[in-house]
Amino acid sequence: MSEEELHKLIGGCIKQDRKCQKMLYKVFYGFSMGICLRYAGNRDGAAEVMNQGFFKVFTHIESYDVSRPFKAWLGKIMRNVSIDFYRANLKMAYTEDLDKAEHVTDGELVDRNLNYNDLLAMVQRLPQAYRTVFNLFAIDGYSHDEIGEMLNINAGTSKSNLHKARQKLKQMISEADISGQSTKYYNSVDYNTSYVAVNAVNMNGVFINKGIRE
Amino acid sequence: MNKEKDEGLDDLFKKKLEDPVDQAGFREEDWGSLEKMLDQHKKPRGIVYWLPILSGVAALLLLFFGWWFFNGANNEHSPSGKPVAVINHKIGNPGKNGGPARQPATQGSNKIPAPVNYAGNLNPGNSSTDNKTLTASADGARRTTGQVKPEIKDTIITRSNETLLSKSYRPVFDYEQMAIQPLQIIDLSKRNTNGALVTSTDKKSIKKINTKRPFVPQYALTILAAPDINGVGSFQQSKVGTNIGLQFSADVLKKLTVTTGAIYSVKPYITAFENYHTPYQFQWNPTNVTADCRMLDIPINVGYQVFNKHQNKLSIGTGLSSYIMLHESYKFNYASPYITGPSSYTVPNSNKYFFGVLNLNATYQRQLNQKVGLTIQPYVKLPLTNIGYSQVRLQTTGVAIGLSWNLNSSSTP
Repeated sequence: MSEEELHKLIGGCIKQDRKCQKMLYKVFYGFSMGICLRYAGNRDGAAEVMNQGFFKVFTHIESYDVSRPFKAWLGKIMRNVSIDFYRANLKMAYTEDLDKAEHVTDGELVDRNLNYNDLLAMVQRLPQAYRTVFNLFAIDGYSHDEIGEMLNINAGTSKSNLHKARQKLKQMISEADISGQSTKYYNSVDYNTSYVAVNAVNMNGVFINKGIRE
Repeated sequence: MNKEKDEGLDDLFKKKLEDPVDQAGFREEDWGSLEKMLDQHKKPRGIVYWLPILSGVAALLLLFFGWWFFNGANNEHSPSGKPVAVINHKIGNPGKNGGPARQPATQGSNKIPAPVNYAGNLNPGNSSTDNKTLTASADGARRTTGQVKPEIKDTIITRSNETLLSKSYRPVFDYEQMAIQPLQIIDLSKRNTNGALVTSTDKKSIKKINTKRPFVPQYALTILAAPDINGVGSFQQSKVGTNIGLQFSADVLKKLTVTTGAIYSVKPYITAFENYHTPYQFQWNPTNVTADCRMLDIPINVGYQVFNKHQNKLSIGTGLSSYIMLHESYKFNYASPYITGPSSYTVPNSNKYFFGVLNLNATYQRQLNQKVGLTIQPYVKLPLTNIGYSQVRLQTTGVAIGLSWNLNSSSTP
């Protein structure tokens, strides 16, 4: 999409034109979802957060400075909404015990054919607090001081959470490795199969709840 | 060494996750959810925009009717501008007692001293009873006492119970498949009021069903209180009265509400003596009369809903009030303290007047929750017939504030 087309679309959004809003939503759906998926635990959660973000975009579109890149503005909103959405859960997550991840040996982090979905699933499996810090530091490039300010925690906690997040991720990668070697392929289907097995109890919980509600 | 490994790990994730190119495929249902959020955001703005305009129109209507009526009433009272001591009014609305006819003006009133009571002056008309005291009968009735009675409407809360296709937080395992395929997701919606499972493809049909919801009659009880101002002929000389009452309303049609109830009203007023009518002949006429009337107002009003969005409703209404006089007392004020004459008169019996007052009102109702609503109702009450011993044309305007209780909100969809 050219700059001109984008500005036309934004102009339509300022007039609250629903067609333009949908078009903009479609164009930046993948980009926004990419951010929200990293911060959320699953796709549905991510979609809800992303919609909150787009809602802010559409209701505050007039405050967008057209001289700046739209994608950066949109990305910032999506990040902020993600953080806001999960801020309430963060404190609780800090209390979670760190397990044996400390003892994981640092294997060589060569390219292991881990694709987008493998890596995303690993990030999503991280506890909330670790995931948020890892996202902000490793992927979005914020410093610990900035993260501390954004999440209302101190920089030390941010560092500690990052460390723990890395440990966990390394553990997951090595597990994926073993799983991949035993089945001779490295794609996400395999990985996810083992994930389902680990979380079988959760699934039952969901199923039971459904039964009650209906 | 460790640091490098950490950075390697970070880079691995950053490279793949930083800006994925359309890894997550567009889902129409996500847009549907957002669209609903946007629609809900728009509606309140609409109300804020329309409410002042509609309120303004209602207020203007009330003012116009008020002006039109009061203007006419003033002219009728003193066309020549001169005070008239006694006027032979038509007997418009006699009280249940029948009662004496007005004493003819030709009687030699000047020679008769002021009695302790009015028995001596009373000239019985059609009444067969030889009254010893002046009855309060509305008998020779002339003027109408205006009365205040606000009307509350109960209207249907039209909920837009469009089924929200909210997300269920079930575990999602196969991200690659999700990204590639458009999924047929069945949403266990948190906010699905029908409690039904809804697939995204059903959305259109749901909307259709909702718009065709049948009319369900609604009933409401309202408790209300109103300060108002009362004046005779105009509001130039007015006094503040109070009202408290209970009303019942029923929606007979989708936008039409019928209201009735009982309101206890205290109506003090002051009027020039020429507006006061009595068979009694004063030796020296008082300059003005201060009255204190208490009555039970029983209105029957019809309201038409002109606006209904979210929890806000606006309607205009009209109807007639009947009332039962509970107490009437009049105090006579003279120009000079040296003039001797009766200082007060209390009407000893009560009378009933049916449909003697025209009600005009505008009602704004804000639903606070499913059961309770707040009502604000500016109103005008205009006399149609002659009511009360004094036969004054008492008109009233005020604002009633009330709380309404929706009697069948449980059946509201």
